[in-house]
Amino acid sequence: MAGYRVEDDYDYLFKVVLIGDSGVGKSNLLSRFTKNEFNLESKSTIGVEFATRTLAVEGKVIKAQIWDTAGQERYRAITSAYYRGAVGALLVYDVTRRATFENVDRWLKELKNHTEPNIVVMLVGNKSDLRHLLAVPTEDGKSYAEQESLCFMETSALEATNVEDAFAEVLTQIYRITSKKQVEAGEDGNGSVPKGEKIEVKNDVSALKKLGCCSN
Amino acid sequence: MSMESSELHDLSDDADYAASQQQGSASMMRCDSEKRSSSSDHDGAELIYLKDNVAIHPTQFASERISGRLKLTKQDSLLFLSWIPYKGQTSNAKLSEKDRSLYTITAVPFTEVRSIRRHTPALGWQYVIVVLSSGLAFPPLYFYNGGVREFLAIVKQHVFLARSAEDANVFIVNDFQSPLQRTLSSLELPSTLPVASGQSIYPLDGGSSSENQGRTSAGVDNRVSSVSRYGLRKQKSHDPARDLSIHLLEKFSLVTKFARETTTQLFSENNGFGSVDKRWNNQPVHSYPEKLSNIAEEKYHESPHSYPVDEHDEEIPNVVDVPADPLEFNKLSLVWGKPRQPPMGSKEFTAFLDYEGRVVESKALRERVFYGGIEHLLRKEVWPFLLGYHAYDSTYAEREYLRSVKQMEYATLKQQWQSISPEQAKRFTKYRERKGLIDKDVVRTDRSFEYYEGDDNLNVNSMRDILLTYSFYNFDLGYCQGMSDYLSPILFVMEDESEAFWCFVALMERLGPNFNRDQNGMHTQLFALSKLVELLDSPLHEYFKQNDCLNYFFCFRWILIQFKREFEYEKTMQLWEVLWTQYLTEHLHLYVCVAILKRYRSKIMGEQMDFDTLLKFINELSGQIDLDSTIRDAEALCICAGENGAASIPPGTPPSLPLDEGILYPQDDDVL
Repeated sequence: MAGYRVEDDYDYLFKVVLIGDSGVGKSNLLSRFTKNEFNLESKSTIGVEFATRTLAVEGKVIKAQIWDTAGQERYRAITSAYYRGAVGALLVYDVTRRATFENVDRWLKELKNHTEPNIVVMLVGNKSDLRHLLAVPTEDGKSYAEQESLCFMETSALEATNVEDAFAEVLTQIYRITSKKQVEAGEDGNGSVPKGEKIEVKNDVSALKKLGCCSN
Repeated sequence: MSMESSELHDLSDDADYAASQQQGSASMMRCDSEKRSSSSDHDGAELIYLKDNVAIHPTQFASERISGRLKLTKQDSLLFLSWIPYKGQTSNAKLSEKDRSLYTITAVPFTEVRSIRRHTPALGWQYVIVVLSSGLAFPPLYFYNGGVREFLAIVKQHVFLARSAEDANVFIVNDFQSPLQRTLSSLELPSTLPVASGQSIYPLDGGSSSENQGRTSAGVDNRVSSVSRYGLRKQKSHDPARDLSIHLLEKFSLVTKFARETTTQLFSENNGFGSVDKRWNNQPVHSYPEKLSNIAEEKYHESPHSYPVDEHDEEIPNVVDVPADPLEFNKLSLVWGKPRQPPMGSKEFTAFLDYEGRVVESKALRERVFYGGIEHLLRKEVWPFLLGYHAYDSTYAEREYLRSVKQMEYATLKQQWQSISPEQAKRFTKYRERKGLIDKDVVRTDRSFEYYEGDDNLNVNSMRDILLTYSFYNFDLGYCQGMSDYLSPILFVMEDESEAFWCFVALMERLGPNFNRDQNGMHTQLFALSKLVELLDSPLHEYFKQNDCLNYFFCFRWILIQFKREFEYEKTMQLWEVLWTQYLTEHLHLYVCVAILKRYRSKIMGEQMDFDTLLKFINELSGQIDLDSTIRDAEALCICAGENGAASIPPGTPPSLPLDEGILYPQDDDVL
């Protein structure tokens, strides 16, 4: 890791938040994506953490800053501050616990309350390796995602299934919206988003809808 | 003069003092009389004013005051201020001779005084803070018999005293017409340094004369030449930033530490005291000028990146640079924080008990634990006291009885959820949610620690049962993430489910607000923390302010679970028992936060960390922090902050007991 200075070479910095009930595997998705690590006994998250990973998307260097928050509702008052500047979110539930899927609605509302209305959201059903314990059929997740215009993917942080893809998909969507916006802005003569700047996604419903969501 | 003889008595320890000066810093001494006793002994010194019962409060507790005598003397038309503690007479026997002597103010000429701040509250004692031209200040001098007004009136008869336009309670000594002159004078008055190190009891040479009173001099003291041999000061033109810094320093009276520290160092060179507190003996001794250049050097090397306000000061040793640490933290703990002692053992603990098992002097016990912690096997006996589960004045028999009563009570509480049938659970969402959360958390709490290791670990089951029972005992609060972090070491230490439960209950009485739904307890503590940083490191505070970091969310985890995730298991237990003693303060954990932040201040500011970077940096400090030195630093900061620190923390801030219970501070600390 390149220390604490924000000077490494990248074209875009995207902030993405992980949300969802306690124990659905947010922290392990994060460590799998950023460090390729998984820990069955990882501690509950207290407060907020984040990690970064740089990857190439359509020829651009994207620095992804992934934020991980405590799942318990009680801490949302304080963690809500951390939504600031987020352009993407992975809303995670546990495919073996129906209740965590039923709470997705609340999380989505919470997200909408604290972020720009059009941030890229992916619904993630994690722990897909526990097939014998499946409590949320894939179809349920998929249809909910369609209904809410969210991306959708089932993952296993333990087996490293789809983790990379899920993050890459979200980051690609964000990038496309960003570059499209830049082009439009360019046509309007407003110039483009400066290189390396954090960007915000605003009023891009149409853009998102046109691009289609997602890799079902 | 009638008071001559008593003065001699008061200063009878001065032989030691003089000897120390001779020994430790002979190179800096040009005082011709080495066997100094009191200023009035000196040829021509005239006693102008004498006030008894003027005290210093070395800790935040007024009960630990050191009383002494304040004097104004005049010699060669220079006015001198001195404060000498009474010998062998203090409200608290625990203050060593050295502690008292530490604060002694030996004849400081008023040419070196910049201002006097007066505090005359309607309630409480009047006090004054004397600030030196360099920005150094002495600890507040409390006038137990009143008389601040009279004191100022007398000062006014002898030196030029002007009320500050900004603050009616500040009287500026040696005021100059223009800010430029004032700045020059504060920069160039070199004699402040020898004073701060206790050297310029008398004018260093014959050069001082009445024009050094200041108001007539153009701001450049003619003693410059005599002191320049210390290589202290370079000529410096007017620098508004510096002027501002001086003002800032003055504003926070606690920057006084410079004065205290240098006095301390003087005494640390002293071999004359027989029963010297150990802490003073092993400290490296620097002369003040050396130290100053050290700071500049360190600063230069530590932070290659330039500070926001610091463009030109690398070479110039300076105590009032905005980004420099006003407390010169690196040295602070050497002076104030005591080295850690070995943990208290069983034999030692037994000595605190009377024949029926009562803790005779709880404060002494808490002090012992504060400075050394507890041997592991003994924790089981002592933690229940610290946590408030057992009363200090309970007997063996009473505690045994309580244990059995509480065991039954615990069983009854546990029965409440154990009797919930699957059918009932279906209709009891709150219960299911809590149980689900607890089940999730206990299997990921300290599982790599041997006691909780492995599948089907019975201790993990006990932890779950205790947490579920607690969520019924305190249904309003319920279960919150972080509670299992608190319970884990308690269960490990107590090795008994019921005992662990009741200790946990006692802890939650104080720390429950950390988990309040409205997060009010956390916000209060984060707010208090920001106030403490403002007080103890205003440049760092400014930095946080400019970088939108004043919410201190990056310290959230530290405070929520009192550093449980920052230290390894054993170290966490050591820290907790120190915190739980509430020996110096109920809020040592906040000073621990300040200590760690100050430890890394030059990195934080030097690398220009923004909120995100800072958060990541703090999170990744986990496992990297040295506990012993941190506790020492925290102790030093707490003592240094004194009453101002206590005043920064709103009443009722956890872990203080809630306000409506009427107990704000431990009874021991009540002022009589």
